[in-house]
Amino acid sequence: MATGKANKIVTLAEAAALVRDGDVIALQGMGTQMSPLALVRELIRARKRDLTIVMIVGGIGLDWLIAAGCVRRVIAIIVNLDEFGMAYAFRRAVEAGEVFMEEYSEHQLFSRLLAGAYGLPFMVTRSGLGTDLLALHPDTTQVIRCPFTGQEVVACRALVPDVAILHAHRADRYGNVQFFPKPIWLDADVFPRAAKKVIVTVEEIVEDEEIRRTPIHTGIPYFKVDAVVEVPYGAHPCSLYPVYAFDRAFFQEYAAASRTAEGTRAFLETYIYGPASHEEYLQRVGGAEMLLRIRKWE
Amino acid sequence: MVEIAREYTVDELMVVTLARQFTNEDIVLNGTVSFIPVAAIMLARATHAPGLTWVAGAVGVDAQPEPLSGNTLDPTMWTRCVMYLPQEHMWSYVHRGVLETFCIRGAQIDKYGNVNNTVIGDYARPKVRLPGSAGMGDMGSLDKRIFIWTTTHTPRTFVERVDFRSCAGYLDGGDSRERLGLKNGPQLVITNLCVMDFEPESKHMRLKSLHPGVTVEDVQAQTGFRLIIPSEVSQTEPPTVEELRLLREVIDPRGMRKLEFRSTAART
Repeated sequence: MATGKANKIVTLAEAAALVRDGDVIALQGMGTQMSPLALVRELIRARKRDLTIVMIVGGIGLDWLIAAGCVRRVIAIIVNLDEFGMAYAFRRAVEAGEVFMEEYSEHQLFSRLLAGAYGLPFMVTRSGLGTDLLALHPDTTQVIRCPFTGQEVVACRALVPDVAILHAHRADRYGNVQFFPKPIWLDADVFPRAAKKVIVTVEEIVEDEEIRRTPIHTGIPYFKVDAVVEVPYGAHPCSLYPVYAFDRAFFQEYAAASRTAEGTRAFLETYIYGPASHEEYLQRVGGAEMLLRIRKWE
Repeated sequence: MVEIAREYTVDELMVVTLARQFTNEDIVLNGTVSFIPVAAIMLARATHAPGLTWVAGAVGVDAQPEPLSGNTLDPTMWTRCVMYLPQEHMWSYVHRGVLETFCIRGAQIDKYGNVNNTVIGDYARPKVRLPGSAGMGDMGSLDKRIFIWTTTHTPRTFVERVDFRSCAGYLDGGDSRERLGLKNGPQLVITNLCVMDFEPESKHMRLKSLHPGVTVEDVQAQTGFRLIIPSEVSQTEPPTVEELRLLREVIDPRGMRKLEFRSTAART
């Protein structure tokens, strides 16, 4: 992959082609916030299979991927639709044994990714001591003793995703990615450092000079980024603070539809398989009126 | 002269009861889908604990948000904060014990204050897949003072033994938590029926106070294990008129806290 100073601008379809069946994908997203959902919809349309999805907090994009049959395994600390309730496609698939949930506490999962980011075999935490989470994954979490004090800690084995996919405010053609403010949630911070490949969708591609005027906002440097896609409203229905809010009506519609497998399928047909492009998708989910509403944070 | 409210609802009583647990010196962090704790933190800051430090939505240090409108980790929670706390810093403060207080809820709670929000039944092929442990998998192990709240005080929620220990409470009771090197732990359990604490020696859950109109028998009938019933059980202190006004008019006029009483809430 091109990680040097080259033009990395691609289309959504080209970005999706960088993901292979069976890959471990680190997917950004925090409940109703900051998730590369236009690219997720593209992965679904490209009918990817056997993916392992790593999310700190699994949400609507993961639920869609599961409903579309793209996912074999989930690595996360929680999966739900935040205030909109349970992620039902996730629940159905795990209860049916179709998808395995590899659950960690938040700091265990972060420690695994941090070890991946550093190229170390493991990192330690005290998180999860006394819980049943520890016994779930002897291959990736083990209680060990500190060689200096004898204190018990949990060793968390390095996790190196094949691809990290994220959505951010803007980037230049080389893949210098900016956030306003800087990355706050763990995923935008550690996913690009831990993963082998990094794909970022952004609201806007700007000139390299603009990045040089505002380096304080750069969260990922070009040498760690493989592909950049310009996708305005690419996080919809999630928010991209402070530019637009999450789309409450759309979340409510999905929360209701996803209570049954049939409802979920119909929803995917209407909003994911139906629209031929991201522009058509935006029209279908409410067009200019909806965009105005989410920009006003109403 | 403090005027006691005469009419109030159970969600209001729960918020006020939780608010009164927070002190001016506390440093509190809130988690996801936590309308009752967030309303309680805001109420405490507006009344007896103006100096209470709050990392709003786990990010906004000492934020001054508008009335509750969306979910409790939303950027709207970070309004007028002094710093967006990078989550890696947040975790270092949690590990070191700088951030010391956290509130959790879950689908199952057992007599030693262990909480399950992972699965009902077998882990790999669960009868019910719950959302997951999230922050509770950390906070129980990282020495937090934990306040447990639930809006569904039923035998399905309060069980003899949780199917899966997502959050480390007092483990098997007695000194088992201490022996593992874990400090603090669950302090109180605030439900739609009553308030409970933990007997200091056995760490077994114990009735503390009853909400209006609820009897000891009601609580025991809705609890799936034998509660410790002390000889004196008080009434949960009612809200004051001023606390109710702040909650209804300033902090949560949209009634977001009532979302926690939806029928699906116990599972989310």
